[in-house]
Amino acid sequence: MKVLLVEDDRELRNTLRDALAVEGYDVVTAASLSEGLALLQHSPVDLVLLDLSLPDGEGDTLLATLRRRQATPLIVISAREGEGQKVRLLDAGADDYLVKPFGVPELLARMRVALRHRGTQVQPAVTRYVRDALTVDLASREVLRDGQAVHLTPTEFNLLARLVRHAGQVVTHRQLLTDVWGADFSEHTHYLRLYMGQLRAKLEHEPADPQLLLTEPGVGYRLAEAQD
Amino acid sequence: MSRPFFFSPSALRRLALAAAVWALAWAAMAALDGEVGLSGLAMLLVLASALATLWLPIGASLVATAAAVAAFNWCFVPPRHAFAIDLRQDALLLAGMLAVSWVVAAVVARQRQLADQSRAHARQAEQLRQLGDALRDTDDPAAQAGVLRDALAQLLGSAPSLLVLAGALPAQDEPQAALVLGEPDAHALSGLWHCTRQAQAFGPGTGRHADLPEWYLPLRGRQAAFGAMRLAFKAPDPPDEALRVQAQALCDQMGLALQRAQARREAADAQRQAQVQGVRNAMLAAISHDYRTPLAAIMGAASSLQEQGERLSAAQRRRLAQAIVDETTQLSHLTDNTLQLARLDTPDVQLQLDWESAEEIVGSVLARARRHDPTRRVRARLEPGLPLVRCDAILLTQLLDNLVDNALKYSPAEAPVEILVRHPGEHLVFAVRDRGPGIAPGWRERVFEVFQRGEVFQRGEVAPHAGQRRGAGVGLAVCRAIARAHGGELRLRPRGHGGTSFECWLPAIPPPPMAEDPITEALA
Repeated sequence: MKVLLVEDDRELRNTLRDALAVEGYDVVTAASLSEGLALLQHSPVDLVLLDLSLPDGEGDTLLATLRRRQATPLIVISAREGEGQKVRLLDAGADDYLVKPFGVPELLARMRVALRHRGTQVQPAVTRYVRDALTVDLASREVLRDGQAVHLTPTEFNLLARLVRHAGQVVTHRQLLTDVWGADFSEHTHYLRLYMGQLRAKLEHEPADPQLLLTEPGVGYRLAEAQD
Repeated sequence: MSRPFFFSPSALRRLALAAAVWALAWAAMAALDGEVGLSGLAMLLVLASALATLWLPIGASLVATAAAVAAFNWCFVPPRHAFAIDLRQDALLLAGMLAVSWVVAAVVARQRQLADQSRAHARQAEQLRQLGDALRDTDDPAAQAGVLRDALAQLLGSAPSLLVLAGALPAQDEPQAALVLGEPDAHALSGLWHCTRQAQAFGPGTGRHADLPEWYLPLRGRQAAFGAMRLAFKAPDPPDEALRVQAQALCDQMGLALQRAQARREAADAQRQAQVQGVRNAMLAAISHDYRTPLAAIMGAASSLQEQGERLSAAQRRRLAQAIVDETTQLSHLTDNTLQLARLDTPDVQLQLDWESAEEIVGSVLARARRHDPTRRVRARLEPGLPLVRCDAILLTQLLDNLVDNALKYSPAEAPVEILVRHPGEHLVFAVRDRGPGIAPGWRERVFEVFQRGEVFQRGEVAPHAGQRRGAGVGLAVCRAIARAHGGELRLRPRGHGGTSFECWLPAIPPPPMAEDPITEALA
């Protein structure tokens, strides 16, 4: 499994490289965007970790290059201040993000989820979601909680389905609004708030302390990773 | 005031009164002729002369009296109907009459002049006082300039041009550096600037440029001028000198008012600067302190692992590694707060406002708190039917994170911490409530100041060890800054049976309407 790590800080680059190598990943590193792009041209990789605070520009070009050719997952690593840039990359198709400083277990978990979703463009990889007492079957449009069928409105179901297809990964507000309501509704966050509230009321044991439908403030939502 | 005496209506009335007195006196003298002696008639004439003097100007009075004495001689002094005088005592009588009448006229005229002067002085003093009051009523230089211009117009009979500096005197005559009233032409404008720079008056009577057909008077403060006025008049005869003196007094009053305003502004600026500097210094001192403590812990743990790694047990190594992770998390949190505080401190900070759900924000705060709250002390309670809240989700989450961290830190390990969201009237209230020892009344405002720590929480049986106390100050200061950036407020309320409730009050804004749901529509 080959991973490209684009990070300009030498210490962090070396630490992450070693940590990933221990987990059995084959890591190639780049210290700048241009170097990263050159490495990508050379040989394909299975996953990209991209730091946003690089000296030679924003990550948009690298993401675009990557997406033109293959569905390689890309995880954005950002500083707390780089809020806008992070959301823009996620909207443009980056798979997930991590905020510095982060722990290695968190990174590994994100990578695992991203790799599992690899190739969703070709074949819908996830059609069934099971976690705790909740079961969602996208094919039969069936939602069970504690073995009981839960009735969802069409909008609620579409919203849940969009999250199930990327379970464990963050899905931005804009992506949800565009995919569920349509491009004209990409700014109507208040729709999302109300429908997510309804979904939590139907699916969570304690809606104010959700375990499944998680909020990423200022970014989007994340359905907790499925159990398998 | 500048009108010649004889053309004013009151002068005509005075003339009429004087004429009436003389007519009465002559009628009386004609009637009494033969009944009383010559000296009795003479007394009537002296009386009439004295009375008429009250209303006539001094020159007219003297002429009228001389004419009256000549006429008296013609009519009554033997030989009658001739100017010749028979008796020496009659000549003496006539001379005495003339002298007494003239002396009376001179004395009355002098008195009248003094009275006029003191009236004029009173009027001028009153005008100065009114201007002073009007200038004090406003701090706006434009309004003050208008007031001065009105006062000058009233005094001089026509409105002068005015130039009032907006701030410090510029190196060049820049139009935007001053307020100009009265649309002076280029020549007049440069004259106004020159007068302001020199802080000296020009024009007739001032000793400088006496040939000018105009006056330039500076608005003088204590050291410099804050502007100037210009009054043009018809070339050869300038208005009364007294007018210029009074106009200068009015201008100087304005100059002093501007100087006072400038001094006030400078003092306020200096105070603000000192305050900013003080806060910045306190912040830097406290930041370095707050950073040094976790850094020391990390340094200790890491160097121990580096040097003694092989000799430590697996459990000891794990504990050291955990300490590094925990302290790093703490540092990261501290950095977020410090950066946010600095960001919110800048003048026009941009918030990423959106419609957010209180339930979601509380949910993500709980999820984060769970990581260092394994016993689930933190509980959330939300009033049903809460409206959406217009806020920056990241900031509001940070606010609640800080309050929850604080509550966990400063209350006993088994005491519950509660997040409560209510919707009283026009507000949404996010409260974080603990059962800690509470905060002494004297500290309830000060805990929100940047970098107050430790001593606050001494009351009560809980004595958290020093390591647990650090960094409270940045946290609460940034919380208040976040609440205020949202047009809200962060308050602290002691709870009934012990403990503290930190309450973030945000304005509740009606959310936008929901259009018909397009998907439900399509499927229906």
